[in-house]
Amino acid sequence: MAGKIVFTALSVLYPVLVFCGLTFWGLSPRRLSILLLALAFYQFLNLTRSRKAETSDVDAKKANMAKNCALVCLMTICGCVAFFADSLLFLKFYPVLVNLSLLAFFGFTLWKKPSFVFRMANLGDKSIKNSPSRNYVEKYCDKVTFGWCVFFILNACAAATTVFVGSDRLWSLYNGLISYILIGLFFAVEFVVRKVMQSKLQSYVPVSELEMDSRPDGAKFCFDDSSATTWKDFVTDVSKVRIFLESKENIPWIIHCEDVYFFVVALVAILQSGRKALVTANRQDAFIKEIQKETCGFITDEPFASGGATLIQDLLKLETDEIRFGKFDLSKAEMVVYTSGTTGKPKAVFKMFSQLENEVKQQAKFFGNEWMTREIYSTVNHHHMFGLPFAVIFPLAAGIPFRRRRFDFPSELTSITGKKAVVVSSPAFLKRLVVDLDRPLDFKTVPVILSAGGVLPEDVAQKTHELTRSWTNEIYGSTETGIIAHRVSGTGAAWTPFEFCKLGLAENGCLNIKSPAVLEPEGFTSGDLVELQADGSFVLKGRADSIVKIEEKRISLPEVEMRLKSTGLVLDVRVVPMVSKRQFLAAAVVLNEAGREKFAGCAKLKINEFFRNFLCQYLENTVTPKKWRYLEELPQDLMGKIKMKDIQDLFSLPESPNFKILKLQRDVSAFSAKLLFPATSDFYDGHFPEFKLLPAVVQVNMVLLLARAFLNVPKEIVKINRTKFTNPIFPDVPVELKINYDEEKGKLNFSFTDEAGTKSLSSGSILMKK
Amino acid sequence: MNDKIKELLIKSLELEDITPADIIDDAPIFGVNEKGEGLGLDSIDALELGIAIKDTFGVSFAVQNEETKKHFASVNALAAYISANQK
Repeated sequence: MAGKIVFTALSVLYPVLVFCGLTFWGLSPRRLSILLLALAFYQFLNLTRSRKAETSDVDAKKANMAKNCALVCLMTICGCVAFFADSLLFLKFYPVLVNLSLLAFFGFTLWKKPSFVFRMANLGDKSIKNSPSRNYVEKYCDKVTFGWCVFFILNACAAATTVFVGSDRLWSLYNGLISYILIGLFFAVEFVVRKVMQSKLQSYVPVSELEMDSRPDGAKFCFDDSSATTWKDFVTDVSKVRIFLESKENIPWIIHCEDVYFFVVALVAILQSGRKALVTANRQDAFIKEIQKETCGFITDEPFASGGATLIQDLLKLETDEIRFGKFDLSKAEMVVYTSGTTGKPKAVFKMFSQLENEVKQQAKFFGNEWMTREIYSTVNHHHMFGLPFAVIFPLAAGIPFRRRRFDFPSELTSITGKKAVVVSSPAFLKRLVVDLDRPLDFKTVPVILSAGGVLPEDVAQKTHELTRSWTNEIYGSTETGIIAHRVSGTGAAWTPFEFCKLGLAENGCLNIKSPAVLEPEGFTSGDLVELQADGSFVLKGRADSIVKIEEKRISLPEVEMRLKSTGLVLDVRVVPMVSKRQFLAAAVVLNEAGREKFAGCAKLKINEFFRNFLCQYLENTVTPKKWRYLEELPQDLMGKIKMKDIQDLFSLPESPNFKILKLQRDVSAFSAKLLFPATSDFYDGHFPEFKLLPAVVQVNMVLLLARAFLNVPKEIVKINRTKFTNPIFPDVPVELKINYDEEKGKLNFSFTDEAGTKSLSSGSILMKK
Repeated sequence: MNDKIKELLIKSLELEDITPADIIDDAPIFGVNEKGEGLGLDSIDALELGIAIKDTFGVSFAVQNEETKKHFASVNALAAYISANQK
């Protein structure tokens, strides 16, 4: 130990010692070279000793060895030359050698990662390795290592210059003092830079471990177009809601807040006060009433017609200095998430909050690096899984600011092209994006775009890339399991599972998922058929319920869909099984441009025949679709999800030559449809021969017909009240019909507008007999 | 007779998008011919149609065999068979 200190001191003071030796003590270079040789010898001893030292890192050991060997050799050579030739020049090379050997060492670790600085950082803070910001830290450390390399090169050059051109005094001054000061300066600058970066970079704190001092008071928490909310605001607001919740008995609370900030305040307050959170995207009176059959509160940010709701804005008006904010027990934090449901009715899925916490940790580990310096914008509903972890929990835990309101219209994205954005989106939104936008979005920084909730069609991915320069990250997951796998759109069909998932095949060929985000130890079996590949990735093969039997013949619906798409005329298609007197298949088809061109002016029967004859090459007659609908867009729910039930309902409404349904968007108690009444329609008979207008009675009849087909409404009506017909409906001009049904009051409200929804054509309400 | 059969076809088999005028008298009812004409119906439709014809015209068919298939070849063939067998 003492030897080490002596030799380190000698090494550091070398330039000063040599200078003093020469100038003041009258020593010859030959005598002074003994100092250099002694240092070389010491290094050599070190070398033999370090060989025994245990390091698991083989590359690092090799690098260190190589560096030290080279250093010892060069030092010995310089020492010997100085000794025998009595040359001062070679004596002065020592500082250059030290710089070069350090350069070699740092450079080597940059080549064989991890870099030296990252190694040191890891030694200093063991948590870095598993933290979500690991990649980010590593990148930064690599940059610092590179900076050191540049520094050593410059310093070696400077040292060499002093060897050849400067006086002994300058050589000693530079290498014995200035060089050390420069090293110190480099450290200081890097330290300051790191602190600045860190203050920008919020650390990741699991939601259950958030404390009021987890982030600086002024840290940006979320924002809207005109103002930003800080961490302190958030802590204060959560306290207020907690004070309210904790003054009530312990009951579960339903949350529905359109504003993501209010949502996250309510959610955190509920969890921290140990209440159960019921998260629902649907806030229809009847649905909320249904949940409230069990005693529970309802916290929301918009007035609720039937009463019994707590408006969060009222709670936040409370004046108090008390702060209640802190960790909560994960083992007791329970929640229910209501799904939109692929089969129709919303389904309640029980979740422990720990599942979400684990999911988001994985998500942060995977995306964190990319996202840390960005802001989050969402186009999806945050009450559902996908929106909830990606647009709410992740920003909360990672300290990434998010926009309070989601974007509903693709054109809104033009307002954020100057931002570094993560856009949490869905195939439904991106499909609209590529149709609605005619000019590329000129993002300064290429945005990160995510999509989940369904498969993103290749051409939409391609066009999205053309518009944004970004390839969409597609996420595959489910409400029960959270995230499962990901892929970059446009790269083909295989999905790569997230690291924390263990995938297997269930007996029926469906995907089985085990992960820290899944409660059941035996894993969760999804309804999706998959093919697992040798490299761990998988290919989706359709839903298990996509294999149906039609009159004893097994047929895969995706196969029929794939065949139809292979005509090159079809943009999107869904084939569904139907039952009437017999079982048969029915196909809802959206033609692409080529298809629309080919069939322009064709009778529907001819189009049916074309597709049927095409399919007959591959399929038996029995399983070719018997009924066809041609739309502009497949029927979907508000989330853009295409459900079998919606398509089946479309077919149970008999086809009529008098009207066409071009689009259909449907919710539990409301729907909107784009309709067209052709000039050939019987509806215009006598109304009027010279000037065709859709009669009012037909409009009302249409409302009733569609309401009975797509909503659960009673058959009989009591009366028709408050009905206005403000503008005529002309033949062959598409119109938009919006209908909602208030079950409580038995009131069916409708409105016909023009296609854009701006001009009212008629509206009114019909009272149904309950 | 042909028109009656066509209407029966559409009604009993719940065919969509088609009017009696769209059905060609000598085109196949089941499957399609090389010109792509025909209704493209299948064997399950055949059973259904057989029952409908029995109910409407009182004419029944023997168990399915080659002979029966010929009667179902086209609307013309069907009309001929029904006319011949009606009492």
